[in-house]
Amino acid sequence: MNQQSQGLKKSFNIKRFIVEQPVFIIFLLFSIVIGILKPNFLGLSNVRNLFMDISVYGVVACTMTIAIICGEFDLSASSTFIWSQILFCTLLNRWGGSALGILAAAIVTLISGMIIGSVNGLIVTRLKINSFITTLGMMIIIKGVALVFTDGKMVSTSNGFIAKMGTGALLGIPYLVYIYVVFVAIAFFVMKYTRFGRNIFATGGNAVVAKLSGIKTLFYKYMVFVIIGFASALAGIMLVSQVRAGSVLYGTDLALTAVAATVIGGTSLSGGSGSVAKTFLGMLVLGILYKALIFLGLQAYYQTLIKGLVLVVVVAADAYLNRSGNIRK
Amino acid sequence: MVETIKNKINIGSTLRNYGVMIGLVVIIIIVSIVEPAFFTGNNLLNILRQSSAIGLCALGMTYVMVAGGMDLSLGSTVSLAGVIAIMIMNSIGVTGNADVAAVIAVIAAVTAGGLVGLANGVILATINGRLGESFIITYSMQIVVGALALLVTGGQFIFGRFPEQLYSKLGTGLSPILIFAGLAIVMQLGLAKTNFGRQTYFLGANMNVAKMAGIKVKQLRVINHMICGMCAGLAGIIITSRVYSASPLQGTGYELDAIAAVVIGGTSLMGGSGGIHKTILGVLVVGILANALNVVGVNAYAQLIVRGAIIILAVGLDGLNRGAAIKGLVS
Repeated sequence: MNQQSQGLKKSFNIKRFIVEQPVFIIFLLFSIVIGILKPNFLGLSNVRNLFMDISVYGVVACTMTIAIICGEFDLSASSTFIWSQILFCTLLNRWGGSALGILAAAIVTLISGMIIGSVNGLIVTRLKINSFITTLGMMIIIKGVALVFTDGKMVSTSNGFIAKMGTGALLGIPYLVYIYVVFVAIAFFVMKYTRFGRNIFATGGNAVVAKLSGIKTLFYKYMVFVIIGFASALAGIMLVSQVRAGSVLYGTDLALTAVAATVIGGTSLSGGSGSVAKTFLGMLVLGILYKALIFLGLQAYYQTLIKGLVLVVVVAADAYLNRSGNIRK
Repeated sequence: MVETIKNKINIGSTLRNYGVMIGLVVIIIIVSIVEPAFFTGNNLLNILRQSSAIGLCALGMTYVMVAGGMDLSLGSTVSLAGVIAIMIMNSIGVTGNADVAAVIAVIAAVTAGGLVGLANGVILATINGRLGESFIITYSMQIVVGALALLVTGGQFIFGRFPEQLYSKLGTGLSPILIFAGLAIVMQLGLAKTNFGRQTYFLGANMNVAKMAGIKVKQLRVINHMICGMCAGLAGIIITSRVYSASPLQGTGYELDAIAAVVIGGTSLMGGSGGIHKTILGVLVVGILANALNVVGVNAYAQLIVRGAIIILAVGLDGLNRGAAIKGLVS
């Protein structure tokens, strides 16, 4: 994050810092305030829980950032997430006896997520339908499929291995957090140091120019949806390992939370810029916020209300700062 | 528009222009054959009655979409307005004059809807939001307003306890159809014949140019969103009046049906074209299709799949239309 100030060679300016990196400020202030109000909040076990909580949604937030950088958007991630939980649970109950069966269940789930993603991608790139509408429609369709499949009931599993994966820990850090961190690390590397990542930036920045300079923009747009489908399925598997069940009620807010984390992190919705690492911080801020809401003992509806308000404020502030920045240029 | 072009592409343009109409007739014929009970006067009246709530939402949505925006908070607004109306009826309507209470409830519900629209409009106008921001801001507002409806009721279903007078008549019999038709005529005139309407089309077609041409863009956007919210408020009244109760989740999904109706009718997602008369057709298609699925016996979950597919399909057709309209200009 220091690169920016170094590159610009400007003296440290606190106002500039606040405008450019509001996440850090919010992050620090928030933790401090809650820490003072409730000393337990900064306790080790709570921090551990916090990371557990954000790891599932974080995986999707990370890929949502890639989609937004590419100038696309995926609302159907929440339905893919739901469908993956249900499919994974069902498959586990069928094949869960052997290690191979569990692996097969996971692979089938991941592939189904990627297929959903590729349908999204094909509709957006081939039929040239706005990604909001495409994924809105797909969100409803997949939710419908999940409902028809389960008849609206919850599917649970009592697979021992999966339970161990969800609750177990290595060196005091839960397995799920490892998965999340590794996922973010890979995404960060790909976006920063590979041609694939750079081309996604180029596509999101200006698709016409990118196309004229020989980048297969449609391919990258397509791939972005496949990746987000994969991540949603992975998140579904991770959630199943935590709660040992799949239901159409788990994770309806996933897509929007992912967008919120992305925008809070500082990735602009206009595409072409941003960072997966920033979204990690954004996810952390959201996680702390949600944990704090629970910690302060607010009623569930107030929590929802505040979550929505945070989203409105963050998105509005992002757009406002962006537009006014453009005028200044 | 231009006669020469119209003459050249005959079958294609006919299909594009009247595709919805043809689709509607085909659906009616097929379903009538499969299920004779469908094409009876009673059922048709039923369809109109059921469509009127979504129709009201779609009318408001048309204004916002012609202006180049989108309102996903509509469903929650319907719930909130309905809940407020029923709560007012339950408190004032029981003790005092039920007819006066009904008037107060209607005003309160419509005002609540207008306030939600005001919030949407002010935020979007302030940040100069484009379609993308419209989506996300109003989707977030959907969460906020939905939470408000849940907070107001404590998450409970509210049964009506008021005497069944004026308020109950609003949503039953012919009145919802008349309310919808009346509002549709007024709004059609407002959009097609007034300065306000023409400016709205201009705004939707190109916000920057509209601004340069001296149109008060921000003010216009706020007004459009407020009209949309007020329509949602009216829809909330009609629904709660019909079922004589209110639920904080009643309006869930209405925004999607409204968008589907508007887009199927032929109002473009990109703004600047379309109109109320097209939306009315779209409302009929959505209403008839929903009824047909019920009559044929498709279960509620499977209907979701159809609904989603129709939204994608309708927008896809819209894209084809635009592609044909500006052939060669599409990048």
